[in-house]
Amino acid sequence: MRTILLVDMDSFFASVEQQSNPALRGKPVAVIGSGKRTVITTASYEARSFGVKTGMNVWEAKKVCPKLIFVTGNNGKYTHTCRMLTEIYSKYTSEVEVYSIDEAFLDITGSLKLFGSPIEIGKMIKREIKERFGLNATIGMGPNKLMAKLASDISKPDGLKFIRQEEIPEAIERLPVDALWGIGGKIAEKLGALGIRTCGELGRAPVSLLKSRFGIIGERLKLMGMGIDTSPVMSNEETAKSVGHSMTLPRDIWREEEIEAYMLKLSEMAGRRARRYKLAGDTVTVTIRYKSFRTFTKQLKINRHINDTHEIHNTAMEIIRGIKLSDSVRLLGVSLSGLRETGMPAQLNLLSGHLKKENLLNTADGINDRHGDSTVSWAAYMPYTSRPAVISPAWRPAGVHRTNV
Amino acid sequence: MKLRIEKEELQKALQNIQGVVDKKTTMPILSHFMLKADKAAFIMATDLEIALKGPITAEIIEKGSLCIPARKLFEIVKEVEGGILLESQENNWLRISAGKSTFKLMGLPEEEYPALPEIGKTEELNIDAGLLRNMIEKTVYATGDSDTRYTLNGLLLHLIPAKKTTELKLVGTDGHRLAIISSKLASPLSSEMKLILPKKGAMELKRILETSSGTITVHLEKNHIFFTIGDIVLTSRLIEGNYPNYDQVIPKDNEKQVIIDKVTCLKALRRTSIMSREKTNAVRFDVEQGKITLISINPDIGEAREEIAAQYKGESISIGYNARYLMDAIQAMDGETIRFEIQEPLSPTLLVEAAGEGAMCVIMPMRV
Repeated sequence: MRTILLVDMDSFFASVEQQSNPALRGKPVAVIGSGKRTVITTASYEARSFGVKTGMNVWEAKKVCPKLIFVTGNNGKYTHTCRMLTEIYSKYTSEVEVYSIDEAFLDITGSLKLFGSPIEIGKMIKREIKERFGLNATIGMGPNKLMAKLASDISKPDGLKFIRQEEIPEAIERLPVDALWGIGGKIAEKLGALGIRTCGELGRAPVSLLKSRFGIIGERLKLMGMGIDTSPVMSNEETAKSVGHSMTLPRDIWREEEIEAYMLKLSEMAGRRARRYKLAGDTVTVTIRYKSFRTFTKQLKINRHINDTHEIHNTAMEIIRGIKLSDSVRLLGVSLSGLRETGMPAQLNLLSGHLKKENLLNTADGINDRHGDSTVSWAAYMPYTSRPAVISPAWRPAGVHRTNV
Repeated sequence: MKLRIEKEELQKALQNIQGVVDKKTTMPILSHFMLKADKAAFIMATDLEIALKGPITAEIIEKGSLCIPARKLFEIVKEVEGGILLESQENNWLRISAGKSTFKLMGLPEEEYPALPEIGKTEELNIDAGLLRNMIEKTVYATGDSDTRYTLNGLLLHLIPAKKTTELKLVGTDGHRLAIISSKLASPLSSEMKLILPKKGAMELKRILETSSGTITVHLEKNHIFFTIGDIVLTSRLIEGNYPNYDQVIPKDNEKQVIIDKVTCLKALRRTSIMSREKTNAVRFDVEQGKITLISINPDIGEAREEIAAQYKGESISIGYNARYLMDAIQAMDGETIRFEIQEPLSPTLLVEAAGEGAMCVIMPMRV
């Protein structure tokens, strides 16, 4: 039997801001992006009590809470804190999956003998986060990730809850299906049409019915309804199928030079992450989201494995040049797949100054690791570095983004 | 056109042009060769990159010319016996009779055959056939195949004039290894030239030189090169573009020098690379005083080790190579031993031929 623990930071961005500026503590605070068309990314619990919600625009938020204080997000601060938090988790187990910037799964099955019961471990982690950063976290525990997430969701904020194996049936019997992590509005609607509204009903539904309606995931849905989830805590980043990055741009763009500059930035981020994990890929995928939110991807497979920023960028631009843009672009993404470990025997190049380039990239990566992202960057990106973009919820501290899994 | 040719003579001539005639062409004429009977008879074949023109001994009964499907005629000639009579008929038909068999083969008129470049008044050089063949053999293996850096798909002929002689350097590289050989020619030359001969041209030239001896004449033009070997003329288009600065990648002043017996090393490579063949072909050389241990490890299959004696006195070093690159280079070299010149595990290794012209091969190691 496994024991999985989820640490979910309470209104993470807003809390970090309140900690770094004592004047904000105890007040309704909303963290917004830096662009003109920004929305609220996080609201403090004080603000939430007024009805301020993530995704509201500034005007809407002001209406429900006139005293609301707006703070422009500082991504560097959050990613730094997230890295520090990960260090704390790593003291309790090596099996840490940083799922997003404010959530991490820990497999503590092997840690129980060393540190005590799940509740005790949860308390220790909560206390350490509070002492070191002044931040509140909610900790949910269970025999799997699904139940750990549920325990956390129902005990927020500043909560601590352990759903034991034998408590599962009772805990989920009357729970609406969309309270389960991974069941969204659309699936819940379809289940509703089948007369399935609670987890209990989902767990008892015939698998053939679910399969005929949902195909291959039907079986998984039934298991979820029974509180069963076998997905592992993925700490082994090398199993990643793709490495990439996407960003919502500060404003919609359409000029090729501008797209090219952002693509360089994204290629650098993807390349750097791939290099950190000693991975190289032979397929580059570009994601484009238009102003209208229409999103599509296009990929190109090449004849060798790469992780060098310039090669990723050149390939990505080759893709971009083959696309006739029909609208201005709101989000861009670059990812590398068809991954292979670069540690494997690899033939080095005689003519391309291979080692020199590799040394250059390693040095630049080293500087950026130590002094912060983009301390050393490509000159072509400089005209566009003035404003940081809104951090993507898929951000991972030094992690590989598992976009394909 | 009407001429009588001995089977052996025609078969040999057709065999010679099979490599030149384009088999996958979209232009039907290129799968044909031209047979022309004037005072003497000769045949011509081209794929528009290289062209071969050579005489053929025949009894000319009636002058004329015709383009004939090269493959089909070759198949026919192989099977028939005795003297062969070739006779052109109306509408480009060719009648072939030998003994009691006759064939009719559809040809194309001479006018459809592409015009081939002619030797103009250009610079020329003389070179010994055996020497040139040897130089090509020791470099052509390293040239690239359908590389996007198209200049690598050819053999560099670098001609550097000295007082009354010319230094000829042949260089082949695919970006992972580079083979180079140099020789002094007695002919003078007015200026330095760098010509890139396509791999196919180099291979055809090598094949023709295998059965020739004496001196051959090379005519150098801006876009073409002509090799006159006795009565045979091989023409090749040259690859345009800049060849990489090869001198820069040849490691110099190498401290670690290892001398290995050629045959022993080849055999050990063949054996150890069995275990690494599929994926990477990587073999690790653990070089120590007096010996080298060849190791190949394939996590999915198993591993192989072999120890060979080597003359070496320096500190121990471990370095990985693609076994095929080593075998290609060693096989092409003369003499009983090979000298390995090593700097560091990730820097190029230089292999030097102990005998002959001192052919060299620079091999970029593998990270293992």
